[in-house]
Amino acid sequence: MEQQIVSALRQSLHRIVLVLVSFLPGILAFLLALVVFVLIGWGLAALLRRVLTSLRFDERLIASDTHGTTNVLSDWSSSSSPTRLAARIAFWICVLLGIAVGIIAFDASYSADSQYSIFLLPYVAHITGAILILLVGSLLARFLSRSVLIGAVNSQLHYARFLSLGIKWLVLVLAAAMALDHLHIGGAIVELAFGILFGGIVLTLALAVGLGSRDLVTRSIEKTMEKPAVVPTELTPRDGADSRPKLRHF
Amino acid sequence: MSPTSFQDAPLEAPATPAGVADILVCLPSLSSEALQVSLETIAATFPGEPILVASPNVLPTIDTDQPNPNNLSTLTLIAHPADNSSSPGWVLTASDYASAAALASSYNTPTLMLLGAQPTSPAFLRALADSSRSMIDLTVPRFNIGPSDSLVNSALLYPLTRALFGADIHFPLPIDAALSPRMAQRLASSAQRLIAINQGGSLLWPAAEASVAGLSIREIDAEGTLPPSPPQVDFNTLFGSVAGSLFTDIEARASFWQRARPLPVRPLSTPFAPSIEAEIVSPDILSIIENFHIAQANLQEIWSLVLPPQSRLAFKKLSQLPPSAFSMDPALWARTVYDFCLAFHLRTLNRNHLLGAMTPLYLAWVASHLRSVADDPTRAQQSIEQTAAAFESEKSYFVSRWRWPDRFNP
Repeated sequence: MEQQIVSALRQSLHRIVLVLVSFLPGILAFLLALVVFVLIGWGLAALLRRVLTSLRFDERLIASDTHGTTNVLSDWSSSSSPTRLAARIAFWICVLLGIAVGIIAFDASYSADSQYSIFLLPYVAHITGAILILLVGSLLARFLSRSVLIGAVNSQLHYARFLSLGIKWLVLVLAAAMALDHLHIGGAIVELAFGILFGGIVLTLALAVGLGSRDLVTRSIEKTMEKPAVVPTELTPRDGADSRPKLRHF
Repeated sequence: MSPTSFQDAPLEAPATPAGVADILVCLPSLSSEALQVSLETIAATFPGEPILVASPNVLPTIDTDQPNPNNLSTLTLIAHPADNSSSPGWVLTASDYASAAALASSYNTPTLMLLGAQPTSPAFLRALADSSRSMIDLTVPRFNIGPSDSLVNSALLYPLTRALFGADIHFPLPIDAALSPRMAQRLASSAQRLIAINQGGSLLWPAAEASVAGLSIREIDAEGTLPPSPPQVDFNTLFGSVAGSLFTDIEARASFWQRARPLPVRPLSTPFAPSIEAEIVSPDILSIIENFHIAQANLQEIWSLVLPPQSRLAFKKLSQLPPSAFSMDPALWARTVYDFCLAFHLRTLNRNHLLGAMTPLYLAWVASHLRSVADDPTRAQQSIEQTAAAFESEKSYFVSRWRWPDRFNP
């Protein structure tokens, strides 16, 4: 009995070691391919940056830009010159290539059961898609939260930061839910959780805006009824003796 | 007089012989009454002198054979197509300069005058023309403003133009201007670049243009008139567009203003303390200070990307002052504007966000300025001069930051 248990354990251990040994070259090949392509990407990005800087690529692009596309690009990127953007794109293309080559190398080295690589390759594509969704979501969240924050501050809303945070988390939660859905993780649980979270944030914001800015809404209604509303930055005299505004910014 | 419509008429070869008049006056789109008043003013200013007047309006025909009670017979009216769709109407835009320069070139007039919609006095018109005839390339008006007028101009446009371009022009965004042919051509070529990308309504900075080209500039008193008010649009939008346009111009001319050049010697103005009346802060100023407090509490994250720690510390201290002691150091304001200009150039963050985040700081300057000048025009003038002087003395800070931006990052 005891010998049978020991034998069963040894056999299972042996099998695991065998599986590991058969996996190891594939993993090493994957890592090696990734490291090599990351190094190539790093070098290529540095070279590209140097060449484009010496060619004054940014200045030339701005000078020849007749449709304002440079402004649009740089407005949406975090810090950025077109040169830096091109270098980053080159680097990440190399990284993605390295991942693809690594998976193929993994497939070649572990030929006993090719189902793993067949399963992994599309999943990597899904992961890449999910990362892109998260990236775009975080950029959009930051852009919108800053827009709301600055707009609210200039409208003299005391809860500007709260509004901005609400918008930021709304977009982030949406992006996270989309990424998880893209990865087929969670299924109905994610949808349900997203619905609850999204609805909760919207309800909170609605309550905050509704309760906190009654004056603003009143002023807005008055404005639509063609009553003069006080614009905080163009202050007008209260006595009406002088028709000229008290403060003239321009 | 029977009105003749020239509104949609294309710009054709001049029917009037070139060189028939030595002054071309370009008017904006006006009502028929205002146009009549303008024509009479021009005729009264230059009696007996042949004057070309261009207007996008429905022009009256002037019968030179009939005795004319208003003496308009010396005026030759011509039509010019104006791009009213994009023009803000309160300052001259790229399309205004381009169309006026094209007309001046067609009619070969040595003096080009662009006038705004507000009524002008004959003395001002005469001074404008005389300045241009005395070989001054750019002549712009200087308005007599009150302590709470043209605040963006006093806080931003005038000090930056004076410090960076060495042009002591108090209103760098003119609505009236007299241009020499070479100045008109320079402005037209800059305007054409903007029109080519469908931005004819963009602002141009003629004082900077003249300064860079080494052309002469003069400002003349427009006594009794105030600068025209912009159309009723959101202040934040207007502030962003004007400040953004100026920062873009500064960015484009970086190679010029980075070169060291001696600044003109000016008499030192004595610092002044707020008067006793200034201790009573008006509700308007309190409202602006409140806006600054909200910004101080909420915009730290954005300001930290633009401003160095010492400036943020100074603003923190400013926010803790009671309204009766609210006073912003002109040097702090100058460094702040320069920091925002640099962030605009480096695209540290979205440019609309950047200019939006600058608005509360500008309002803080407004509160400090209004509190200190206490409705006294002389003190207001002193305050504006001190602000401009601070921009000049902090220029080296701007140049250093522009050249080595990373050195200042925390």
